[in-house]
Amino acid sequence: MLSALIWIPIFCAAVIGLLPASVSSSRLRSLAIASISIVFAWSLYIATQFDVIDIGLQFQEDIPWLDSLGLTYRLGIDGLSLPLVILNNLLTIVALWCSDTSIQRPRLYYLLILIINSAVAGAFLAHNLLLFFLFYELELIPLYLLIGIWGGTRRGYAATKFLIYTAISGILILMSFLGLVWLSGSNTFEYNPLMSQGLPLTAQIILLGGILIGFGIKIPLFPFHTWLPDAHVEASTPISVLLAGVLLKLGTYGLIRFGLELFPQAWSVLAPWLAGWAVVSVLFGAFTAIAQTDMKKMVAYSSIGHMGFILLAVAAATPISLLGTVFQMVSHGLISGLLFVLVGVVYKTTGTRDINILQGLMTPERGLPIIGSLMVAGVMASAGIPGMTGFISEFLIFRGSFEVFPVQTLLSMVGTGLTAVYFLLLVNKVFFGRLPDALANLPRVSWSERLPGFGLALIIVILGLQPNWMVRWIETTTTAVINDFTTVAAHLPNPKTIDLPLTPAVSENPLPVRLN
Amino acid sequence: MVSTRARSKHPLAEIIETLESGGALLPDSEENVLEVVGVLKSYAVVLDAYSNNLNYIAEHQFLVLFPFFKYFNGDVSAKKLFQHWWHDRFNYEFAEYCMKAMFWHGGGGLDAYLDTPEFVALAQAAIGAKLKGNLLMQGLSKAFPEFLIEQVRLLAYYSGLGQFWRVMSDIFTELSDRYDAGEISSIPEVVALVKEGLVKSASLPITYAVNIDGQSYDILPKSAGLTFLMDTAVPYVEAVFFKSFPFMGTVSYNAQARAIPSEPERFSYGVLYADPLPVGGAGIPPTLLMQDLRHHVPEYLHQFYRRSLRGEEDLRVMICVSFQKSMFCVTTAAILGLAPHSMDTEDPQEQKANRKYLEGWMDKLTDSRIAYVQVCEM
Repeated sequence: MLSALIWIPIFCAAVIGLLPASVSSSRLRSLAIASISIVFAWSLYIATQFDVIDIGLQFQEDIPWLDSLGLTYRLGIDGLSLPLVILNNLLTIVALWCSDTSIQRPRLYYLLILIINSAVAGAFLAHNLLLFFLFYELELIPLYLLIGIWGGTRRGYAATKFLIYTAISGILILMSFLGLVWLSGSNTFEYNPLMSQGLPLTAQIILLGGILIGFGIKIPLFPFHTWLPDAHVEASTPISVLLAGVLLKLGTYGLIRFGLELFPQAWSVLAPWLAGWAVVSVLFGAFTAIAQTDMKKMVAYSSIGHMGFILLAVAAATPISLLGTVFQMVSHGLISGLLFVLVGVVYKTTGTRDINILQGLMTPERGLPIIGSLMVAGVMASAGIPGMTGFISEFLIFRGSFEVFPVQTLLSMVGTGLTAVYFLLLVNKVFFGRLPDALANLPRVSWSERLPGFGLALIIVILGLQPNWMVRWIETTTTAVINDFTTVAAHLPNPKTIDLPLTPAVSENPLPVRLN
Repeated sequence: MVSTRARSKHPLAEIIETLESGGALLPDSEENVLEVVGVLKSYAVVLDAYSNNLNYIAEHQFLVLFPFFKYFNGDVSAKKLFQHWWHDRFNYEFAEYCMKAMFWHGGGGLDAYLDTPEFVALAQAAIGAKLKGNLLMQGLSKAFPEFLIEQVRLLAYYSGLGQFWRVMSDIFTELSDRYDAGEISSIPEVVALVKEGLVKSASLPITYAVNIDGQSYDILPKSAGLTFLMDTAVPYVEAVFFKSFPFMGTVSYNAQARAIPSEPERFSYGVLYADPLPVGGAGIPPTLLMQDLRHHVPEYLHQFYRRSLRGEEDLRVMICVSFQKSMFCVTTAAILGLAPHSMDTEDPQEQKANRKYLEGWMDKLTDSRIAYVQVCEM
């Protein structure tokens, strides 16, 4: 059942690769959209079949592969990965929809996007450390090529920087996985939350350090973030949507799945430091975003800040905060996807992203009033205005983290306020005022170009008003993760986490959080 | 004919020479003729409606304290009410906006007459008749004697503008008919026709009387000697084409911060100066006019707009640009009509006087959008 999510895109990628060069780019795009739409529909079907009160993995597939290496093809889905799998498919459709049909080498382009979709789905579904690593690495080369071939003027630099950073990330993660397996005496890379429990705390901390830095590069967290703004600026709009919306989530997903869950004891020791790291990342991202003049860079630095919220919430590791992390992953995927789509339309029609050049785009007839209105909605969502997903996720994170790390949470909340500062600056400069004569003859924006923005904005509002439609898939898993974590972490005295009440198993008692 | 005149040193010397040689403020081109005539054809329909409503308000809503149905022209029915709410109607508010610009900036014989004791006496008589038996209003009128007189002044402007636009609507209808008949094919011909219409109606008397309880009360009697050209057309051009008001929300009304001139005489926010780009936005008055015009734009002009970069999306801005061009033609007609001597005079003294006269107009137009219409951009 889950394999279809991985192999349909691969199969379609192969078909696209084998099609004759005479097939038009728009047909290739339609084919790619159709294939991912099937996968998207399949993921929604899986969601309907998903048992929301089951704390374990569902729809498991376990096929022996290379036993001698401990590598098995083991897939499974839970409340942590299900929303991300759906998000992956949704944003891939958006990215394909936004792709320019006049691009060069369209077969390679669509083939690479489909491979990324497959690899990301595989990474979210894999329950074998080595299998996860393979999928995690699989998306690197396609993304490198997508930036390097179809990127901006400094695409070579940006693509290489991305590759080097994320390759180091992969190496660190692989080393930690290998260390964990070898030191624990296991002969398999099978995912097992109890793996690290026999290890000395120092060894656990070292291994967790590798995981943290590895995924910290991917997320990215300060000071490992420098590849991201360059990659975003040089990448085309669809690639930025995928990068911010989906690929960064591999890092935050990894943080929970392979950091918090595999190393609960070490995590509880490092948690205060991680919360401090989150604050630095949040504030750095926000303050740097204020200084940007390129709209895309501003959104990119905003991502760094918003990803910091996730680290804070995972560090706090309370049922509410962990629920908030998953909500924030989806929320940020939707909001950053929306913002990058809109920035892409602005760039395509005006030829610039410089907020000091752009002005008055909200002008009703000659400007981009609909794009401007969607941008206002997007920045409101990003700044955490109630009624949109950004508010729900940030509220959950702050509410859940405050009881454990009050100071760090308050400092992170400053980051939310700063989000409003830099995005209002952006909206004010770019969309309000008089449209300059140089921009008075902008080309028409088609409804097709507006459609992804409308779709994403609609989902942002719907989930903002009715968050329980998503929370119900997530909360059983996140609460179970916290149960395991607190049970294990309680064996290790820690002034921050020892006082946490042991949350009862979800199946026995109602959750402390209900959103409606 | 080779011009023997010395070259003007004015920044708009080229325009002056164009006018002297029979040209217009707007360059002559097939496209410009199509835009100007097309938009004026639509404007004729809109002006007709505006004019009828202004006259209706002046005559039938005289000192009505709460004129809820002033835009209904006497036809108050459920159907009309729903059409009004559905916005299937003319934006008469724009007519009032122009009227208030005239009222505020004043100028001309109408403005002067409204400050005379004769007018006050006539207004008092009409007010007295209107308030007969209304003790409350009589008391209020006694407490604030200037209030109702000022309202009558305003109603006189309703009537004055209504009468002015009646004439203009007919001129533009004739222009369109003659264009459709193939008799008009250049901008100078458009200007000549408008000028001819203005001159023909120049001495048309502007009068205003209201009927109260079966008796007619003069407000602007014929004896006041108010005429179409000098007492309504010229003040209208001054107030609406040149001065007007800045669009609310686009400029701060702060004279101390020099956001606007401290003297209303130095205002330059009229049709010839207005920025067409904000049109379409809420709170931008020309949006109302362009919205009305778009319903009556002839098909040939609509097709022309459809071929533009934005197609139907920026129709109101495109109409505004065409409208601005047409108003430069009307201004040309007014300039030529008011010139001290004919532009084709051979007399050097007359030529000199004309040159001085034109330079005076060009001083006012230096900061207008004349440069934009010269290059046919937007």
